[in-house]
Amino acid sequence: MQMYKKTSKWLGLAIILSMLIVALAACSGNKNNNETAATNPAPASTESATAPATPEGLDISKHVNLEFWMLGDAPRDLKKVQDEINKMAEEDLNVTVKFNFTTWTDWDQKYKLMLSTGQPVDLIFTADWTQYQSYAKMGAFLPLDDLLPKAGLKLQELVPQNMWDAVRINGKIYTVPATYKEYVTNGFVWREDLRKKYNLPKPVDVPSFEAYLEGIKKNEANIQPVAIGAGVQDSLQNMLLEIARNEVGQVPYGMFATYDDPTNMTSYWGSPEQLEDLKLFKKWMDKGYFSKNVLNEQNIIQMDKIINGTAASMFGDNPNRFNEILTKMKAAHPDWELEYYPFPLTKGYATPVHPIHNGFAIPKASKNPERALAFYEKMVTDKRYNLLTQYGFEGVNYKVENGYYETIGEESASGFPREGMHGWAWRNPEYMLFPASYDGVNAIFKELDKIEKPDIYTGFAENYTEYQAERAALEQVAKQYLWPLIAGRIDDVEDGLKTFMSKANQAGLEKVQEEYKKQWLAYLQEQGIK
Amino acid sequence: MKVRDDSSAKWFKLLAYVVVILGCIFCVLPFLLILSGSFSSNESLITSGYHFLPRDFTLDGYKIIFELPQEILRAYGVTIFTTVVGTTTGLFLMTMAGYVLQRKDFKSRNFFSFFIYFTTLFGGGLVPWYLLMTKYLKFGDSYYALIFPGLMTPFLIILMRSFIKSTIPDEIVESSKIDGAGDFKIYYRIVLPLSLPGIATVGLFLALNYWNDWFSSALFINDSSKFQLQFYLYNIMNTASFLATFGGGGVSLSGGVPTESMKMAMSIVVIGPILFLYPFIQRYFVKGLTIGAVKG
Repeated sequence: MQMYKKTSKWLGLAIILSMLIVALAACSGNKNNNETAATNPAPASTESATAPATPEGLDISKHVNLEFWMLGDAPRDLKKVQDEINKMAEEDLNVTVKFNFTTWTDWDQKYKLMLSTGQPVDLIFTADWTQYQSYAKMGAFLPLDDLLPKAGLKLQELVPQNMWDAVRINGKIYTVPATYKEYVTNGFVWREDLRKKYNLPKPVDVPSFEAYLEGIKKNEANIQPVAIGAGVQDSLQNMLLEIARNEVGQVPYGMFATYDDPTNMTSYWGSPEQLEDLKLFKKWMDKGYFSKNVLNEQNIIQMDKIINGTAASMFGDNPNRFNEILTKMKAAHPDWELEYYPFPLTKGYATPVHPIHNGFAIPKASKNPERALAFYEKMVTDKRYNLLTQYGFEGVNYKVENGYYETIGEESASGFPREGMHGWAWRNPEYMLFPASYDGVNAIFKELDKIEKPDIYTGFAENYTEYQAERAALEQVAKQYLWPLIAGRIDDVEDGLKTFMSKANQAGLEKVQEEYKKQWLAYLQEQGIK
Repeated sequence: MKVRDDSSAKWFKLLAYVVVILGCIFCVLPFLLILSGSFSSNESLITSGYHFLPRDFTLDGYKIIFELPQEILRAYGVTIFTTVVGTTTGLFLMTMAGYVLQRKDFKSRNFFSFFIYFTTLFGGGLVPWYLLMTKYLKFGDSYYALIFPGLMTPFLIILMRSFIKSTIPDEIVESSKIDGAGDFKIYYRIVLPLSLPGIATVGLFLALNYWNDWFSSALFINDSSKFQLQFYLYNIMNTASFLATFGGGGVSLSGGVPTESMKMAMSIVVIGPILFLYPFIQRYFVKGLTIGAVKG
């Protein structure tokens, strides 16, 4: 039995290594295919005399089945919605569609497997956090430039030109971006009733936030001043870089550049600025603003702490999630108050989500790309398709009162909660329904509209094939040596930073940073950003 | 004559009992925490943590689970089905393999034994496996994907081979041949009945593997009516985990995030039946660990 355990452990390692090798080979293969496809002109499709003339130029004589893939869990009433959609789709486009969901278990692995094994997928979700840029660059998706005039003319007209241009990778369009404009920039979240009670300052920047934390610490023995969680690099370091250092975006590998001077990219890791920031976090931990044991809170949802009152604030969250926290907190504790102050108001500019933020692409392996695009166009532009796939059945799953969306019955038992198919990508502002509580979010968005500036970071498409191994090694080093530093668990911060940098350099940091910077500068030049 | 204990033997016994009791406690305490957590309100779990006795006793966690009982019952059905079918089929395949590999007149037995053993050292990797299952065998969204991969486990084949070799003398096989029995009849009528203890042991290992499987569902199943029980549970945990790590990306999930209390209740619902079953079958596990330990 012991031998079996040893071999299975070794086997796991072998599987991981060979998976990396084969996955890279598969992606490289796709890249070559992409180049080949680009050089060969696609044969012009002949219009069948018997085909209905409704979608001009689109041949719908043959019935096809489409495989539609979205991330996450499927809503319970998905089958009913699918059946209803297919009635309309068969009539309109002679297609049936199967809606598939990855679940949230190993979703990124499944995503990669589908794209690298040539599985016949017709439509798949893309986002910046699903590495759209990297997949597109490696040739995982079909270019849509020629398909749009043929099968998606309404989409082509609906999406503004600057959005199409923003999602281009190597000059080609690979995803249909969502047109709904929103902000996922962060802001301070705090208990307003406690602030009033103890006459604390309103958190608008780091010093005032610190003063708030100190006040909570002094006056509330059982409330944690700030909810941080195990992902300290995101919840502490990245928040600080956003609010206090005007980082251009969440740049990886310890690189840093500001929004105002993006060509000046330097290494934040090992810099005097990082040392200063690490000492700040250390001070916060020593003062008890957050728990010594944050690194153990892998599975704890931090907003639950606000909702239940064990924490008084969050060092940054986006308007949508703030609104969600507020709604849930008010449901349990009507007398509590929660407030929000957007980081952009302090910085002086706000970046709306980049068009890459939500989209749908047609994978290279799709057998029916034209019909897939035509169907997706229906989902976005046809009100019947859109409302059904966003909110379910009116009168069964939801109702509209005074223009506001309302769930029918208990939300936890609902067969189709709002945006239950995670339809962020095919939102159409013309048809969108909002619950009454969303007015607060819209108010924040209106404020941020006044100081709007474009997102210049998310359009960058990193190609990490050259430093794949170093990249994986760095991730481990950061978790092992940097995260404890950020969490304030290393007494000698300066010495700890030296240790971390030594380990990072052993893992190949220099090579990664040089290559990344080279790609970044090329991107800026290509986009005309100075 | 009774052997007189000297003082060192007494101390050793005392130490052994202490260590074993501590081990038992360490195994039982986490379970008690889960059991207690499943009867506590979600708010008390978040505000004051877990305790060995429930605080704010409530059945809310279980109510949420059984509010839509068809989901978990269906997951039970899938897991029971795949466990029964997979174990039964796998036992036939592996007993046949073990029997053949230990026959001395099978000239290539060393080659095939090594070939089977070799697969425990080198695997094809995840991508080729995924390609094989979805593209060539077309097992996507099929029960085959849940049953097929576990049918032939090299470790269990070797275990079965060792058991048959040590239990069934060659003379029985030879005498059967003299009496006119063919190879399959020898296997089915003589070797199989005599191997029942080994089959019980290997069957338990196999059943446990099938019962605990979640990765097959994760990779190959998208029809939620075919989710295995362990995957159903694991996915609830992953929804929470996803929110905890990806919240910054602007992702907000509507429709009820699993509460701490519900997760604990779900764990009890999934673990409970096995806990009841284990006392009746543990002696087979103990024996299983000793089979093949002595060459013979």
